[in-house]
Amino acid sequence: MSHQTHRRAVITGLGVVAPNGIGKEAFWQAMNSGIPGVKPVQRFSTVDFPVQVAGEIRDFNVEHYIDRKLANRTDRVTHFVLAAVQEALQDAQLVLEQEDPKCVGAVIANTTGGVEYVVEQIEALHVRGPRFMSAYSAIAWLQVANVGQTSVRYGLRGYSKTPVNDIVGGLDALGIAYNAIRRSAADVLITGGCESLVQPFLMLILGHSGQCVAGDDPNAYRPFDQRAAGLILAEGAGICIVEEYEHARRRGAPIYGEIVGYGQTNDALGFGMPAHNGKQYARAMWLALQEAQAQTGDIGYFSLDGRALPLADQSEADALQRTFGTDLQHLPVSVPRTMYGHSFAAAGALDAITALLALQYGMIPPTINCEQLLPHYGLDLVRNEARTLSRSTTLIGGRGLGGANVVVAIKKI
Amino acid sequence: MIFQEQKRVVITGLGVVASNGIGKEDFWQACVSGLSGVRRITLFDANFLPTQIAGEVVGFDPASLGLTKEETEVLDRGTQLAVAAANLAYYDCGLPVDLNEAERNAMGVMMGNAIASVDEGERLWLQFTDVGTKPIFARKQDFQPATFLTSFTPSSAIAAHHQLYGPSTVIATGCSAGADAIGQAFWAIQDGRADRMLAGGSDSAINASGVNVFSVMKALSTRNDDPKRASRPYDGQRDGFVTAEGAGVLLLEERDLALARGAHIYAELISFSSNSNGHHMTTLPEDGVPLQHLLRQALEEAHISPDQLDYINSHGSSTRANELAETAAYKAAFGKRAYHIPISSIKSMIGHSQGAASAIETIVTALVLDRQRIPPTINQHHPDPICDLDYVANVARCADVNVALTHSSGFGGVNTALVLVRSDWMDR
Repeated sequence: MSHQTHRRAVITGLGVVAPNGIGKEAFWQAMNSGIPGVKPVQRFSTVDFPVQVAGEIRDFNVEHYIDRKLANRTDRVTHFVLAAVQEALQDAQLVLEQEDPKCVGAVIANTTGGVEYVVEQIEALHVRGPRFMSAYSAIAWLQVANVGQTSVRYGLRGYSKTPVNDIVGGLDALGIAYNAIRRSAADVLITGGCESLVQPFLMLILGHSGQCVAGDDPNAYRPFDQRAAGLILAEGAGICIVEEYEHARRRGAPIYGEIVGYGQTNDALGFGMPAHNGKQYARAMWLALQEAQAQTGDIGYFSLDGRALPLADQSEADALQRTFGTDLQHLPVSVPRTMYGHSFAAAGALDAITALLALQYGMIPPTINCEQLLPHYGLDLVRNEARTLSRSTTLIGGRGLGGANVVVAIKKI
Repeated sequence: MIFQEQKRVVITGLGVVASNGIGKEDFWQACVSGLSGVRRITLFDANFLPTQIAGEVVGFDPASLGLTKEETEVLDRGTQLAVAAANLAYYDCGLPVDLNEAERNAMGVMMGNAIASVDEGERLWLQFTDVGTKPIFARKQDFQPATFLTSFTPSSAIAAHHQLYGPSTVIATGCSAGADAIGQAFWAIQDGRADRMLAGGSDSAINASGVNVFSVMKALSTRNDDPKRASRPYDGQRDGFVTAEGAGVLLLEERDLALARGAHIYAELISFSSNSNGHHMTTLPEDGVPLQHLLRQALEEAHISPDQLDYINSHGSSTRANELAETAAYKAAFGKRAYHIPISSIKSMIGHSQGAASAIETIVTALVLDRQRIPPTINQHHPDPICDLDYVANVARCADVNVALTHSSGFGGVNTALVLVRSDWMDR
């Protein structure tokens, strides 16, 4: 059959809507300085909720990005993603009018869909009657709304996909885009993830799911800490412009880094927390390293899943131990997301953006809140203050409920 | 990846749970007999809604389809349909259940769905608020949180059931989701990321909001007094689509492995092409331009000419605008040949099963190649003068089919096409 040509996927633009910074510059400033974005929830009353704090997006004016009509027909999650897409396209200095629209697409992950919008419509249906449901319900609610609205807004005619994979969907999006670019399915892919979990129905359900830390302490997301008791929910969006290398070079685009490896495995254990041992997660790491043609000693930084539950932290440390062996003690690892919380499908994309900015500035953002690091994990966790990044390859890992393990390798070129 | 030889991918297992039949044989018999699975809704009281019909799966018995007691209790209905279809595909492919670890590492799951989370979401919302009469957090709730975000669960549930450690993801590209999942799985095998993949789609949203969400768009048929005749793609008297539930899963396998174990090969999958409309969230432009591009791209990627195309399993959802666009796109992409290619829409019989639809249609396409018989588009009684191609009206026919195409278009504007060929065609 056909031979594949050697095409490379690079990242040329970044767009961020995060609780501790809207826009790439503000976000990096906060991440590099350890400025948190987890605060008491303002959007609604959390009285009687299991959790009172979250990484909430504040000071976000949707009409700064899209007109009111579109804003009213779309969910908060789509507002975030359209803002991040706009910023990423500008950052990449990409003029879409000069591109063949058939070669430009979008791969944007999302877990829950537009829940806020649809819950209002379910209420309208059951309380007021069938006619009172909005005709825009379906398109505001489905996960595909985010790639759909992006495609309509920018006239994209190319390959577009919507991965859904619990909290690792954003990393999957990067892997899927990387594959698609290499296979010539597209030249430019608007790639990332978005989520809007700071909503009463979702916070109630997820707050009771066993993965979130209870209470009102904004510093309670503490992976690898003796007191680790779960994560804190967040909302936001992260977008990377993934582009074929020659295409980027021809137009003189800024290049943050190259996606050089993608490993994906499944624990096959059903819907509990990730596996107690890190065997399959280690295999995902190994697959990403192999594809990147990298040795364990080449890795300058590993962005961790950091679920902050003792068994999950233990199995992540186990996976790292299996993969890196004695090199693990010299491997800087971090969970920068402790600063703003876990925004599920947005998180993988924001983790990748953080890693790309770390490569650009040569600094690894810290993990905060981990004051009592458990030594038996054997990790060199970058804590409280950013640290110099001295190598050009980083790994980004994530593990979803349902057992998916994803590792993406990114290299500075 | 440097000049790596791409692997070939064949289909060796089929599992289907549809409104007109559960299991490959019952489903196929129903399809070639023109049997509709559309009926009055029984899964909830739909009397307060304008549309009261749907393609429900009746007589679904999870235990007899290999689901465990725990799966039956914990998983939402859509995910149960998905696991059942995956089990059927696995039994059908003849693989032993005791795969070794290396084989499990190289076998993954890719599933599509469109609106999976609404079933659990609506149920929980009704429970939490006493049907909207109380604030949402007024009292302590008793519920199973793990099943709420059900959109990602089908792949994970299937991986857990069969202990598969390879890549697994859900793709949620609306009505193209099932075909997209199959396409992504096809690529994974071609690229050497997996040797075998269970791939397909599932959805079950026969509940008040899952049905009414399409009614308020005026997208659904309201032919409540004549359900079996309600889904009538290409027919002049169509009045919208009929929503449905279901699941379809295929076992995709690297060809040399399938040959080595003497597996029955239904068909070979030779291309996966995909684009987006960039036009409107719910409709194709009437000239069908994005679909034209997709069809041309599919032929090019499959290295075939329109003259070689023997069959199209169409999207055909019983929605006028889509069918005008489809018909225009066929004519533009295939020229005069468009008038000679038999085209059928299975949605005329089973309704539109959302994320499952394009997976079930891929199963039909594989069976057409395997059995050399084309199922009909039923309910063709009042021709729409603009839809003037060969839609295999009402009665199945025998035909010589070597190359077949199936395509789908979804909300959000994603269009996907798969080209399948008869198992020995590539080597002739």
